[in-house]
Amino acid sequence: MSAITFINQYDAQESFDYDRRLRLLRARKVAQTEEKARAGGANEDDYGLIVQDAFIYQLAPNHPNGSIYGYQAWVENYCSVLAQHPLYCDPLDAFVGKGFLFLERLRPKAHKWNPDYPFDDLQVLFDRYNIIHGIDNCHHFTPDLQIGFDLGWGGILDKLKRCRSSKGSAHHEFYDSEITVVEAVIGFLHRMASEIDRLAEEEQNPHLKANLKEMAAVNRHVASEPPRTFREAIQWMCWFSILSRTYNRGSAGGQLDELLRPYYEQDKAHGVLTDEEAVFYLACLFLQDSRYFQLGGPDADGRDMTSALSYLALEAADKINIACNLTIRVHDQLDPAFFRKSVVCLFRNRQGWPRYSSDTALVEGFMNCGYTRDQARKRVAAGCHWMCMPGLEYTMNDTVKINLARVFEVAFHETAVREDARIEDLWQCFNRHLEQAVNATGAGIMHHLKYQTRSQPELILNLFQQNLIEKGVNITDGGANFYNMCIDGSGLAVVIDSFAACEQHVDQKKDITYPALKALLDADFAGAEGQVMQHLLMRSPRFGGGDNPALTWAVRIKDAFTGAVRALCRRYPGIQFIPGFFSWSNTIAFGKAVGATPDGRKSGDPINHGANPNSGFRRDGAVSAMCNAIAAIQPNFGNTAPVQLELDPGIADDEEGIDKMCAMIRAILKSGNTLLNVNIIDGAKILAAHRDPFRFPDLVVRVTGFTAFFAMLSPEFRQLVVDRVKAVNPTLEQPALPDECTLSCPMPIE
Amino acid sequence: MHGLVTEIQRFSLHDGPGIRTTVFLKGCNMQCGWCHNPETISARPSLCYYPDRCIGCGRCVLACPHQAHQMKGTLHVIDRSLCRACGRCAAVCPTEALLMAGTVMTVDEVMREVRQDRVYYDESGGGVTLSGGEVLCQPAFARALIEACCAEGFAVALETNLNAPPAVVADLAQKADLVMFDIKLIDHGAHHKETGAELTTVLENARMLADMGISLIVRTPLIPGVTDQAENVAGIAAFAAKLASVRYYELLNFNPLGASKYASLDLPYAFKDSRPLSPEKLSHLKAVAEAAGITVKVN
Ligand code: SF4
Ligand code: SF4
Repeated sequence: MSAITFINQYDAQESFDYDRRLRLLRARKVAQTEEKARAGGANEDDYGLIVQDAFIYQLAPNHPNGSIYGYQAWVENYCSVLAQHPLYCDPLDAFVGKGFLFLERLRPKAHKWNPDYPFDDLQVLFDRYNIIHGIDNCHHFTPDLQIGFDLGWGGILDKLKRCRSSKGSAHHEFYDSEITVVEAVIGFLHRMASEIDRLAEEEQNPHLKANLKEMAAVNRHVASEPPRTFREAIQWMCWFSILSRTYNRGSAGGQLDELLRPYYEQDKAHGVLTDEEAVFYLACLFLQDSRYFQLGGPDADGRDMTSALSYLALEAADKINIACNLTIRVHDQLDPAFFRKSVVCLFRNRQGWPRYSSDTALVEGFMNCGYTRDQARKRVAAGCHWMCMPGLEYTMNDTVKINLARVFEVAFHETAVREDARIEDLWQCFNRHLEQAVNATGAGIMHHLKYQTRSQPELILNLFQQNLIEKGVNITDGGANFYNMCIDGSGLAVVIDSFAACEQHVDQKKDITYPALKALLDADFAGAEGQVMQHLLMRSPRFGGGDNPALTWAVRIKDAFTGAVRALCRRYPGIQFIPGFFSWSNTIAFGKAVGATPDGRKSGDPINHGANPNSGFRRDGAVSAMCNAIAAIQPNFGNTAPVQLELDPGIADDEEGIDKMCAMIRAILKSGNTLLNVNIIDGAKILAAHRDPFRFPDLVVRVTGFTAFFAMLSPEFRQLVVDRVKAVNPTLEQPALPDECTLSCPMPIE
Repeated sequence: MHGLVTEIQRFSLHDGPGIRTTVFLKGCNMQCGWCHNPETISARPSLCYYPDRCIGCGRCVLACPHQAHQMKGTLHVIDRSLCRACGRCAAVCPTEALLMAGTVMTVDEVMREVRQDRVYYDESGGGVTLSGGEVLCQPAFARALIEACCAEGFAVALETNLNAPPAVVADLAQKADLVMFDIKLIDHGAHHKETGAELTTVLENARMLADMGISLIVRTPLIPGVTDQAENVAGIAAFAAKLASVRYYELLNFNPLGASKYASLDLPYAFKDSRPLSPEKLSHLKAVAEAAGITVKVN
């Protein structure tokens, strides 16, 4: 085990200001990303993970299948990781801590779930409807970092011990496991602090030496005590990030500006923090990890929470201009200058951040689940497409998905054998299968809740739930205050367009019968006749095309899905099941599982992205038409059906353009949409990067809910992003970029 | 009330203030050789044909009552002299290789589309733009559309060439919030040669609108070799600067995208080799125009 440090890389005479340090740190980050991309990349979030050879952990399984299950094995393995985990320390940085692995991913892929709790009957249905059931999926809910700020690791340990003494032996396994983990964390953090001390001695450059000394003192303190200063609070957050990522990859952040505001205001009042330092610290936080944070939005009384710190957070993200998952919560009282500044950042930096959520749509939706306005406002953006009340709910957000295109396919193949079949027969059949798929999904979630502790307890995130330590149980065993289980439908536009195409061409125009259409689909539109029919089907009314029959189908299908999901709440009292429409990065895999569909889609082609329409939805590609369609299919129970928008930077290259984009964002969210992800993509650059991704190692795109370095994506995924750009930019041609491309990031890299 | 509409384009960012829906009316009374919407010039529906999309299915051959389409082997050919623009072939063409430009629509049908973006207009200070072709060529329909928009509280802008009798112009313009009009050339002879219309009509209408206090934007499409001389721009800017209600003068760079549209109509296109003006030339012309003491924008 050897530490990864960057000691004595600069002469003693070198001086550093914050901007220079950030430039160097950013360059290192870009280089590390390129290394990751060359090592194979991944179609997912950046996670701030470092590729390294210094530390390879060998899982110690407690099952013959090579996996680990239950408290003891997770505790032992996690503690072993911490005991061996080397320090990553960059003297340029304000903070230490980078993650090297996710323990949960060291398990054999096929054996994540404890085989003592099989679900073979459900698996048949999961396979039939191509359901991502979420059983054994972990985290995907939000910790309340305030608990850590208030107690520190030492306070959490004390609380665990106190509560253990007042609880019966049924809870001892929980307490003993958590106590062992927290003791290991504290030991680990003390060891890190000592190592930084040693590095401070070694470092020759006086400027960096001073930084390391301060860093060591900060780390020594936050190893067990609650943070006292702005810097300590962020260092605490950095460690929390690494500790939860290393355990099971948890990504949720929280309302960043409000969490840190007390420290900021207090340090400013004491004259120990300047805004320049605050920006530097925040930038280091964003460089460390692309965790999800929310900025702005209303407090419990509806007053805007935008503060000086919200501005500084934007400024920090702007300075490093890299993959960043910041969400601005838009409401009527949002500081207009802050909002405008964020839009300027979005268009100038073209890195897919920030994105925007609608307070009204989210709050009113969540209140339909029976929550108060106050509770609904606490539900902050914390993941790819999801919101969560920090420390209050267990959600399985973004882990459970039903491939609606496949459900349609099953129904179509059952109905289309009859010559006299009609669209209503297809609809009834679809509803039957939809209900079966949703019921199977609900049963899967209940199975997960029942046995997840025996598979993978939430040893880290448990500690940041309100009243969980007092209850002494894992979060899936009643440890959460609320259970709001997320079920997303994917492939909605494929289903909508397929119904609209069948209605028009089979039922109304009688161009073809259902059995003949089925034969064409089975043959994947082969032959001249198949080709003609495929084109005709594609000319049917499309979701996103405006106020047309497809929109009627959209609402019908949305209502059916929402109704089926909400019916689970009656079947399993005490638990909310909340519908949404999202695909995450499963568009390709879901598409491969579905043959040709009546919307003209060929067998195996990707399904539509998230809640977006299929490409070619409308000749003018009107953003408003697309967004109105997505607004119409919002389930309205507090989860999202996000809009994913690709825009050309040219549309906001002056003040008037920025004004129009501000208005566009407000209009999209006012019309009922919940969440807006925007990519500002220079068409020529993205095409050039698609051909040679390493030419633009710092090009970031918002793939779905998350931002990612374009070079990290697989060619298939890059193609998807390119296709989306082409959908709203139909004239996009192959690029004629000079070899020395002038489109690199605005921040020079040393 | 019916009108002939080429297209309704929602989420339009370049046809006036804010976010707009632009309704393109069909038919124009000028004949500018550079028009980048040639399908809007004829006052009747026009059949456009994009051969690269044709899959040779022959459905058009069966659909056309006038035998305008033929298949020569797998190659589809069209004899436009036989075409009566009935639209039957375009309705059955599976690939949109055949498209009709020009749909007869009622005011209600247009408003149904326009209404869908109300929140975008409200948030951005946008609204509806009536464009062309030439909006003045369908004055009754345009008037009915403007009244329908006003009744629903939508701001209306007109994009026009001002080539119509003053009474027609005044009647439509007085209900609009903004009139954007072109002055392509300031030399009377050149104007007549290139557009087929009298410059005097345009200038007199412009003065009349200014006297009526109607908000105006003056625009010049910069066509290489035709309108992009400094003297022309300076002359138009000087005229525009004297209009009391003018907001600004806008120079529109040449848009080469019209070429495929000319090909789709089997029309010759004299500017197929022309390219947009360089940034240097644009800024020079901007400076020239600004010298007249008017705000200038370049798009
Ligand atoms: S528009 Fe009518 S007349 Fe003209 S080619 Fe088509 S079918 Fe024939
Ligand atoms: S119907 Fe369309 S695709 Fe078929 S031959 Fe005619 S033009 Fe070509």
